[in-house]
Amino acid sequence: MDPAIILATLATLARIFVLIGVSIVTGWLLAYAAITNRRFEDVYVPLVNIFESIPVIGFLPLVLVTFVLAIPGQLGVEFAVDFLVFDAVAWNVWIGVYQAFKTVPEHLLEVSDNYRFSFTRKMRTLFIPHSIPRITSNIFSSFADAFFYISVSEVFTAGVATAKVCPSGTCSTFGIGTLITKYTEAGDYTDVYYCLVSIAVAVTVVTLLLSSMSRRAVAKYGVDTPGAVRRNAGRWRGRLATPWRAFRAQTGVVGGYYSKAFQARMGSTFDTEVHKTRAAATRYAALAVLAVVLGFLVYSAVEVVISVPTSTWRTFLTETPQLLEFVGADYLRVSVIALAALGLAVFVGYYLAAHQRAGNTLLPAIQIFAAFPAPTYFPLVFIATLPFLEHALPFLYTEVYVFILGFLSCFYYVFFDFWIGVQAVPSEFNEVVRNYEIPFWTKMRRVVFPASLPYVITGLSSTINSAWAGIAIGEFWPGIAPSVSGSGLQVKNGMMYYISSNMAAGRIAPAAYVSLLFAAVVAIYGIVFTRNLMDLARKKYVVEEGIFAA
Amino acid sequence: MQRASPSAQVGGGTRILEGQDLSFKYPDGRTIFKDVSLFTGRDELVAIVGPTGTGKSTLLRVLAQLVPPTSGKVFLNGVQFTKPSSKISLVHQSIATFPWMTALENVKLVLMGSGMPDGEMTAAGMRVLGMVGLRGFESHYPKEMSGGMRQRVAIARALAAEPLVLLLDEPFVHLDELTANDIRKEIYELVFNPETSLKSAVLVSHNLHEVVQLADRVYVLNGSPATITDCVRIDLPRPRTERNPGFLDVVDALYGKLEKQPER
Repeated sequence: MDPAIILATLATLARIFVLIGVSIVTGWLLAYAAITNRRFEDVYVPLVNIFESIPVIGFLPLVLVTFVLAIPGQLGVEFAVDFLVFDAVAWNVWIGVYQAFKTVPEHLLEVSDNYRFSFTRKMRTLFIPHSIPRITSNIFSSFADAFFYISVSEVFTAGVATAKVCPSGTCSTFGIGTLITKYTEAGDYTDVYYCLVSIAVAVTVVTLLLSSMSRRAVAKYGVDTPGAVRRNAGRWRGRLATPWRAFRAQTGVVGGYYSKAFQARMGSTFDTEVHKTRAAATRYAALAVLAVVLGFLVYSAVEVVISVPTSTWRTFLTETPQLLEFVGADYLRVSVIALAALGLAVFVGYYLAAHQRAGNTLLPAIQIFAAFPAPTYFPLVFIATLPFLEHALPFLYTEVYVFILGFLSCFYYVFFDFWIGVQAVPSEFNEVVRNYEIPFWTKMRRVVFPASLPYVITGLSSTINSAWAGIAIGEFWPGIAPSVSGSGLQVKNGMMYYISSNMAAGRIAPAAYVSLLFAAVVAIYGIVFTRNLMDLARKKYVVEEGIFAA
Repeated sequence: MQRASPSAQVGGGTRILEGQDLSFKYPDGRTIFKDVSLFTGRDELVAIVGPTGTGKSTLLRVLAQLVPPTSGKVFLNGVQFTKPSSKISLVHQSIATFPWMTALENVKLVLMGSGMPDGEMTAAGMRVLGMVGLRGFESHYPKEMSGGMRQRVAIARALAAEPLVLLLDEPFVHLDELTANDIRKEIYELVFNPETSLKSAVLVSHNLHEVVQLADRVYVLNGSPATITDCVRIDLPRPRTERNPGFLDVVDALYGKLEKQPER
């Protein structure tokens, strides 16, 4: 085995984790800005949805050209790759942090307002701790997503632009995705196999670490949850010790706050003006970030509009009804995928959350499966099943493959979010359910699902947004397996097919126009679905309020 | 105050809930309590008191079989049981009400496995809400209620399941003193109201005034690992207040028993 495989795996892992770290820190700042400024929130949430929905491969040409041309040498390539991986991990973390900040219990917010916490103190003692369980659950998905796209992120070609920088016409950075591509091109399938094994080992180790981290996060930062039960010394020690730990912690914390508040009244350390200035500075910083992003978007939009001839715009407008039908067809596909993912999450996710032994075995397996890049093995599945499916479902077999690819690209978001949501259900609620022998369906419908609803909304939102990437690959993959299918895998009535096939034929304008339509639809979806459901979750489904507020 | 024989027959002579030789050990091997035997008689409210860390709340959960004991057995009406049952209702210290359900829905939740038609469940829910003084608040969400009202919802939910035994895990600890006192005044009559199915109740509390106000008998849990070090019958007339002669003497005596370390 080439020793470079191990180094490349470590390099890819390091890149992914550094970028996850960056996305967490930026996520905290942006989420805080969103929950404190309704106007920012109105822009931020739909924007995150749009960016999460537009598949990373759709970004490729624009991003690569921008980075590679703007920053000379290998540094530009590195930034381009970083951006692509960041794109795979950030949106999910950002929406999770936003959701966590949005559902901080009202009375804890009141405490922080009451004692006039500064921005940093609010973040350190309230918002960041409250976001830890959701971040740890989302890292599962982000990690899987990063690996899903690693093969298209680390090696790329962008025509003339890349040829200027990379002599071979293909830019690459050191990592496992690059090695897989290199070995595949050289026909060295033994080393491809070693690469896949290396990814499997890395993913297994990381999964076990994340799993342990997630349990500890729920145990430490959740309310009185069964997660606390299971940590360290044993099941009930943790749970029963919790009220006392919480009591000590609360009295300690409250004492600390009170003394600060007292000092504040005495005028020694607390300065209202300083507090106001800091809050304003934070708000302005967030607005500045927003302005930069919006400026970039507006500039790009104006450039596009000006550069397209009026006659082309006329053609686009004439075709709009049919293009909207394509958008509708893809939304139908995404809905089926999302429902299947939700079904799997609710039943298997619940089972694994409720049965720790089974969870310990199966969760890493599911995580490894989710993180394993589907595009690397899907052609084998296609070759093995096409003859049968083509015969059995002559009009639907392409839909089955699109479903599979779409499902594999996104099911884990809602799955892992629901799983951790179930773990975060307070142990008192579980005791009520067991005590009164509440039937399974009633328990799921009345207790488990509502209690984990904020997690479900986050997960479902990410699942829906990420499904587009999978169906983008599935709707147009002409060269998937020339030996069994000359035309490869293609559908005829999908927006992603329309975009990909036009891009492949060099017709950028129609692809860009339908992307614009899509962005508008996703923005509406962001406001109607994500924000409204999140508001509902905040009003009614904050599980902590069922326990604390007395 | 009399020292009661732990094996004494009480009330009508029937033991409703009984734990025999109960022990509980954490997976790390630390024993929290051992060889604990206790029982409740018909129409009897039994309290368990003890210093922090002696496993009172765990013992309550063991009695409900929400946590299996490491050793020992639990009997209800003389029949051993090993799984949680709605015949033994636990009221949590932390006032667990579901924030997305109204008061009535919180109560009806425990009836949903009974096969009762919705109309009957609503009627039963309204009846117990009325018993705890919440008529007119059935469509309120917990968030719209005070702590005392929420705890009444939790008690109503427990009563709706028609339990034989009510387990109260520091049920007043989160309430302000006036509210707690109001509910304490009502609770003895409430839990032994002829309209309810209750036959006995077990109260865990750190508040010895509360214990003397409510309990017929008090088990003292002490030591490490904890054992039952005393069982005290309280024969003061009801209703009890701190102004009653002898009330504070009983409180002082219980304090004395808690402070005294068990002989090894």
